[in-house]
Amino acid sequence: MSDERDDTQPTGPALGKDEWVARFGANRVRRSGALGVLEQRLATVSWWAWLTLFVAVIAALPLGIESGYVRRVAFDTVVLMLLALGLNIVVGWGGLLDLGFVAFYGVGAYAYALLASDHSGIHLPSILLIPLVAVIGALAGWLVGLPSRRLLGDYLAIVTLFFFQIFLTVTNNGDNVFGASITNGPNGLLNIDPLSFFGWTIPRSTSEGLFNVAYIYVALAFFGVVYVALRFVNESRTGRAWRSLREDPLAAEMMGMPVNRLKLLAFAFGAGVAALTGTFASALNGSVFPQNFEFPLLITVYTIVILGGQGSQVGVVLGAVIVSVLLEVLRDANDARSLFYVALVLGLYGAFRASTRLVVVLGGTIVLGFVLRTVAGAIDGSWTAGTAEDAGRAAHLAAEWVIVPLEPARWLAPAAYLVLVTLVLGLTLVGGRLRLAALVPTLYLAAFVWENVLLAKPEATRYIVIGVILVGLMIVRPNGLLGEKRVEIV
Amino acid sequence: MADRVLELQGVTMAFGGLTVVDALDLHVERGEIVSVIGPNGAGKTTLFNLVTGVYRPSAGDIRFEGSSIVGLEPHAITQRGIARTFQTLRLFLNMTVRENVMAAAYGHTQAGVIRSMLRTPGMRREERAIRALAEERLGFFGERLVGYRWDQPAYSLSYANRRRLEIARATATNPRLLLLDEPAAGMNPNETLEMAELIGKLRDVGGYTILVIEHDMHVVEGISDRVVALDHGVKIAEGTFEQVATDPKVVEAYLGTGAMARKAL
Amino acid sequence: MDVFLQLTLNGLTLGSVYALIALGYSLVYGILKLLNFAHGDVFTVGAFVGFGALQLLGGVAHPAVPIWLLLVLITLAAMAVCAVLGVAIERFAYRPLRDAPRIAPLISALGVSFFLAYSLQLLFGADQRDYDAFNLGSGVLFMTGFTIPGTEVRVPLLRIVVILCAFALMVVLWLLVTRTKTGKAMTATSIDREAAAMMGINVDRVIVFAFVLGSALAGAAGVLFGLRAPFYPSLGFLVGLKGFTAAVIGGIGSIPGAMAGGLILGFAEAYTQGYVSTRWSDLIVFVILVTFMLFRPQGLFGKADIKKV
Repeated sequence: MSDERDDTQPTGPALGKDEWVARFGANRVRRSGALGVLEQRLATVSWWAWLTLFVAVIAALPLGIESGYVRRVAFDTVVLMLLALGLNIVVGWGGLLDLGFVAFYGVGAYAYALLASDHSGIHLPSILLIPLVAVIGALAGWLVGLPSRRLLGDYLAIVTLFFFQIFLTVTNNGDNVFGASITNGPNGLLNIDPLSFFGWTIPRSTSEGLFNVAYIYVALAFFGVVYVALRFVNESRTGRAWRSLREDPLAAEMMGMPVNRLKLLAFAFGAGVAALTGTFASALNGSVFPQNFEFPLLITVYTIVILGGQGSQVGVVLGAVIVSVLLEVLRDANDARSLFYVALVLGLYGAFRASTRLVVVLGGTIVLGFVLRTVAGAIDGSWTAGTAEDAGRAAHLAAEWVIVPLEPARWLAPAAYLVLVTLVLGLTLVGGRLRLAALVPTLYLAAFVWENVLLAKPEATRYIVIGVILVGLMIVRPNGLLGEKRVEIV
Repeated sequence: MADRVLELQGVTMAFGGLTVVDALDLHVERGEIVSVIGPNGAGKTTLFNLVTGVYRPSAGDIRFEGSSIVGLEPHAITQRGIARTFQTLRLFLNMTVRENVMAAAYGHTQAGVIRSMLRTPGMRREERAIRALAEERLGFFGERLVGYRWDQPAYSLSYANRRRLEIARATATNPRLLLLDEPAAGMNPNETLEMAELIGKLRDVGGYTILVIEHDMHVVEGISDRVVALDHGVKIAEGTFEQVATDPKVVEAYLGTGAMARKAL
Repeated sequence: MDVFLQLTLNGLTLGSVYALIALGYSLVYGILKLLNFAHGDVFTVGAFVGFGALQLLGGVAHPAVPIWLLLVLITLAAMAVCAVLGVAIERFAYRPLRDAPRIAPLISALGVSFFLAYSLQLLFGADQRDYDAFNLGSGVLFMTGFTIPGTEVRVPLLRIVVILCAFALMVVLWLLVTRTKTGKAMTATSIDREAAAMMGINVDRVIVFAFVLGSALAGAAGVLFGLRAPFYPSLGFLVGLKGFTAAVIGGIGSIPGAMAGGLILGFAEAYTQGYVSTRWSDLIVFVILVTFMLFRPQGLFGKADIKKV
């Protein structure tokens, strides 16, 4: 009898399942294969080494490339990284849905513009202005969060979304507030001061009229500081409290954490980071317009955070790089075309690996394409006489395979698009051979739609892709690339 | 009247027309273990929710160490020295075991956001103290929750260990009064026995005053200095375990009486 | 007085459209506790479908059928397409996330909203469109009507049609929810989904039903809106925002609340536009929303939640 009791004494390790679950960390869900090995190796490198490397790479990037475009993209990417870091505080750590986030970025940009431009006649030095604007942004966030302080995420979402709309209303109509022009309406504020530190102005472009790299460095410096500061906060009692309230607000409150105040703090913090980002974006652009801060930007930043993985700082930074590059690639028809086919093949490989199914689907699609194109061309020459958008090698290859009508009927684009969407959704419902068989025409139709409908309107296409990524991620991989897999109820 | 940690005077709680707790008087002396028993729906958990500030009583007063805590927000009540566990576990599942406990130290630590961002020496000292506190509180459970388990996410723990972790988390708020809501629910007989020992140890070694809701009469018998029986929000008996267990009203509440059985026919 | 009456009329028209949209939010929220951000875009799709149907039936200039039939047909077309769309959204974007953390379906909803708005832009361009109701049947919708006795306020037929149509739909909805078995199942599901499932209610079907009703109403609202004002692909954002503000004011989850909220919003907007400025009406609506949040967060007809531990 006493022997049996010994086994279950607190000191004994043999507690059956409990022990098994806890001791073998390897039992937890982990990525497998080469990626998993790589992840484990990389996990041993300290975080600040990574950060330094990352900043150094971005800093070195524009040096070799004398292209204003590339520099501009690099700068915008850093801006997106900062915005994602800010939103990550609110969404990833606090678990709050802040749909007014971009408005705080706008508040920062406008505040900078008003306090350092000819429009108002005030020219505050950057060293003073930037922290001031960050505080203004944080205060604005605090105020907006206040009415929903005792309420659930849903109400916060509504108030913040509406605040976003109000921000747009105010900036758009601010050219006539009791006769005074504050924001100059849709025409925006112009002639904003560039950054200047201790009387030393950083010009926006070099003497050759090229984008001044210094702005990238300023942005990177802010990024580094914000990243480190946020990391420290996350590892402090405040960070723990934020994550606690994300997990279970009521339990957090019961454990002595003032949940409402902490929510507001997270909210204000995110707003402060957004406003801070607004300052140097404003300084670089030299102008602000209401349309710089619209709904698409909000969704883009959300996509970044979700893609990278809510709660993971490294993740959202990577997410920003990926989304930023993706959006740029989609801007150019030829790049977008290459991307499409590469993504298609990679996606198929990811789904089937190296198997006969992969060969069947790929081969089937290619054959189907040539057959259909030949048949279509034989029936009516104009059906295949269209030229693929933007010449290039990929375009030539595609033009040999995809049907591109010279003058497509007006109903063709909507019909093809709708059928494609229906087919793709339908594919998720069927399985086995049926799915395999349906995949072939779907892929061809996708190529057809991409060439004929989507490439023609890159602006809409970019955002459709973003929307699809967002929904798809939430369903397939809500923890994103690097976010921790979360358990809700066990 | 020696040293009353908790005192409820005529506390009533009504939701709409339904009175869940009715003019309840209850007190807990320092160093006591008081058990609350009663059938389902007797108002036991509501009692906890009233004490911890989740609900505000419709009438009556709740005093903690002499001063009223009615109307205070839950976190403020916790910071004054009352901590609880939950009948349905409410851990921060995706945080590590140690973080769960460290998080609960929020109420009695100071480092603000600015100091955290700058990692001031004071903040780092406090952080080390929080960590030491968490490890100490987890050490209370022997080897159940130490070592490699510190860095495991809470969801990887077994059910019994989750119950233990909840208690460790509650003690990290540095309470003087501990409210345990069915700490032995769902445990096997051995674990239950261990939990009963642990509750005694919490009082004797940890120095906490304990108010506990429990269904397992063996546990109640083993740990209680005093037992309070509730039914339909009314206190129907109070005293030692023997007194309460043999009280006809308690037996009636649990089993129904012959009279009621006849009425049902 | 004339101005006031005119504005009241405007508010009533606008408010009844908002109310229709708010109902969709409320129905879905009542059951799933989900803010369906895509709802506003379903509304826009409705406006576009109605427009397309109008063109198919011969356009404004030479409609193939009598005007009343034309209006009925385009409204029904929009309602049908939107109902299908709503079901598809629920099936593919929300159902897989039903047991996910609360924030997940909200973000998915944002994605759907974005996808719909930009798909419309892709297929139909970003330009404004107009039903050109003024020329419909050589202006019968505007020429006919009556003048309110004792004033100079004219009530054109179009407004009567819009208001009557909106209210008729609301009455139908009310009857569907309170009198039919499925409607009662909806109420049960909204109170406790799990318990309802255990009582033998097919919860999936109830949810689909809510989406069908809500989306069909949004489709109708799209057509009624399109008859009065120009629309464009990204309109759904703003109108949707107003719609769910109306739902919140009325008490989200409550059907009479959604109607009341819609009307309040419509009046507030109309009076602001009339007496203050057209530019700042959004601001007034926002102030109303925040006031409600501060003083009566459960809305006019909502009940305060009891926290469960």
